Amino acid sequence: MKKIIAVHSYKGGTGKTALSVNLAASLAKRGKKVAILDLDFRAPSLFSILKMENSTVWLNDYLNGASTINKILQDTNGKIPSNGKLFAGLANPSTEAIRDMSAKDRKWEMRALGRLLSLRNSLLKEEDFDYILFDTSPGLQYSSINAIVAADLVVVATTGDRSDVNGTCRMLQELYNLFEKKTGVVINKVLDADLDSKKEELNKRAKDVYQVPLLGLIPCFCEVLRAEGNLIFVQDRPDHPFTKIINEIATRIEKNEI
Amino acid sequence: MKKNELLLSKKPLNVLEKIKENLERLNEKMEIMIEIQRHGKKELQAFPDASLDVMTLLSLPDHLRKTAMTICRCGRATAQEVSSQTKRARAVESAYLNQLVIMGYLKKERKGRKAYFYADREKQE
Repeated sequence: MKKIIAVHSYKGGTGKTALSVNLAASLAKRGKKVAILDLDFRAPSLFSILKMENSTVWLNDYLNGASTINKILQDTNGKIPSNGKLFAGLANPSTEAIRDMSAKDRKWEMRALGRLLSLRNSLLKEEDFDYILFDTSPGLQYSSINAIVAADLVVVATTGDRSDVNGTCRMLQELYNLFEKKTGVVINKVLDADLDSKKEELNKRAKDVYQVPLLGLIPCFCEVLRAEGNLIFVQDRPDHPFTKIINEIATRIEKNEI
Repeated sequence: MKKNELLLSKKPLNVLEKIKENLERLNEKMEIMIEIQRHGKKELQAFPDASLDVMTLLSLPDHLRKTAMTICRCGRATAQEVSSQTKRARAVESAYLNQLVIMGYLKKERKGRKAYFYADREKQE
């Protein structure tokens, strides 16, 4: 089933972008046609992870009404070989663009919402994409809430940090629930993840505190930190446990098990 | 059948269609009056520069947010089309859609007997 997925979090540094890119790569490897869009206009990072620093087309132009989505999306072939297709829409990392996007007013944001909503028609229906993934900025930014409203499923990346747990809990109640969004939580950077007591504790947290399905528990892997954003594990380390967990999450999304 | 007879037989049908159309409009107006009584005029206050952005969606009461979200997804829809998605009665959706029109968040356009509702996102371009 075709889907728009927003990957969001309350705090920064929860591993949203790594999760989005690897999920997108995992779905593409299964033969799906996938688009990943960087909606983190305040701290763009997709261009760097996908090593597409020389790009001259930006998602900013699509949301500004200066270009079409077909001109913005770039094939990542050569970077992430897959059975399907993986396209990327990059946020412009220049200081001027970041400043410009930070100064948009409510009317601009309303039109941007309309443009994100229209992707269902232009990409899922007309261009036959299977999945669109939105990598969002953390917290209650306009662009992130627009992405959540336009999405069918919200994947929330969270950690064990106390303030992150509290903030995620509030967002679940005061944002995703109000918009009646299907939501799943991924708890990332878990310490002592192989202990049964830890797994039990986090499963209980998802059930009792977050009250949404737990999509996956990702241990704090030193190899992921050591890679310093240079590797896409699903592509470069297909046998790594991190890849295995991402593939399991992708399977659950594919089978609609949320 | 001769041409004149054909015209005569069509006329009562046209009159009935017109009556039905007028009754539907009357019904819509009554639905709005009922909603105003139910929720009070304060909630239906019109905002001249209103825009249906996400912060507005968050601030709307639950019953109106559901309707507004459906219009956001559909782009343009009749009360019947909205009701088929929200699983609420057409008359209820019609009342909520008209409330959102009064508040300035939606536009309404008649085409024949059908009334279409939409968020006018491009008006400030």
